[in-house]
Amino acid sequence: MLNETYIKIKAKVENISLIRVCVASFLSNTNITLDELQDIKTAVSEAVTNAIEHGYENDENKNVEVEMKLAEVDQMVYYWVKIVDKGVGIEDIELATTPTYTNKPELEHAGMGFTIMETFMDEVQIDSAVGEGTTVTMTKKLKTIKS
Amino acid sequence: MTYTYDVNKQKLKVILDEEIDVNSCKTLRTIIDGYIMKYSPKVCELDLEKVPFMDSSGIGFIAGRQNLAKMLDCKFVLINANTNIKRIMQMYEKAKGSA
Repeated sequence: MLNETYIKIKAKVENISLIRVCVASFLSNTNITLDELQDIKTAVSEAVTNAIEHGYENDENKNVEVEMKLAEVDQMVYYWVKIVDKGVGIEDIELATTPTYTNKPELEHAGMGFTIMETFMDEVQIDSAVGEGTTVTMTKKLKTIKS
Repeated sequence: MTYTYDVNKQKLKVILDEEIDVNSCKTLRTIIDGYIMKYSPKVCELDLEKVPFMDSSGIGFIAGRQNLAKMLDCKFVLINANTNIKRIMQMYEKAKGSA
């Protein structure tokens, strides 16, 4: 393991930008490209937004946990991130991950969060149980070897 | 965010200069809609050159302003979007087209 970190934030939308800064800082010692960094920041931003807006329905007393790891395999660097909420959970994951589907159209949600995660990351796994919460785990292989 | 309104051309130009996510959208939406309602412009131009980051919240935000402009018979124009923003918007257009 090259590095790992764990962050717990209050479920406040103001904290989403904080997580993006943490992602950038965590990856700053790699030779990551700007495109790769932008992809990861966007995917993590989507997952944390979902946790706050959908998982906790903006209940600021709840917490979102973000765990990140960097690992080296055969001189390649892999970024791994897990976003955990203990909120309402997702009833139908297939429906929730359908592009443009949103259960909050009145809030101008585009329903593209999971599509963006799946496009920008190499692997996305969603584990969810109604009433228990949702865990999104994502992995991306970075193109460059470690610095 | 700054804005200008050209009375002769009836053109509202809004220059955004911050990250667009679910948090910033809340404020931006209210302010920009206020400008559109106040001026009822013929053209509304949203300049994204100074926007360093946008996630899918920005898609809904842009689509919402487009819809409002359309309702008021106003031409909505998006300019200077960076590669990442263009990519996200294209992804949405494609998904919408095949939905």
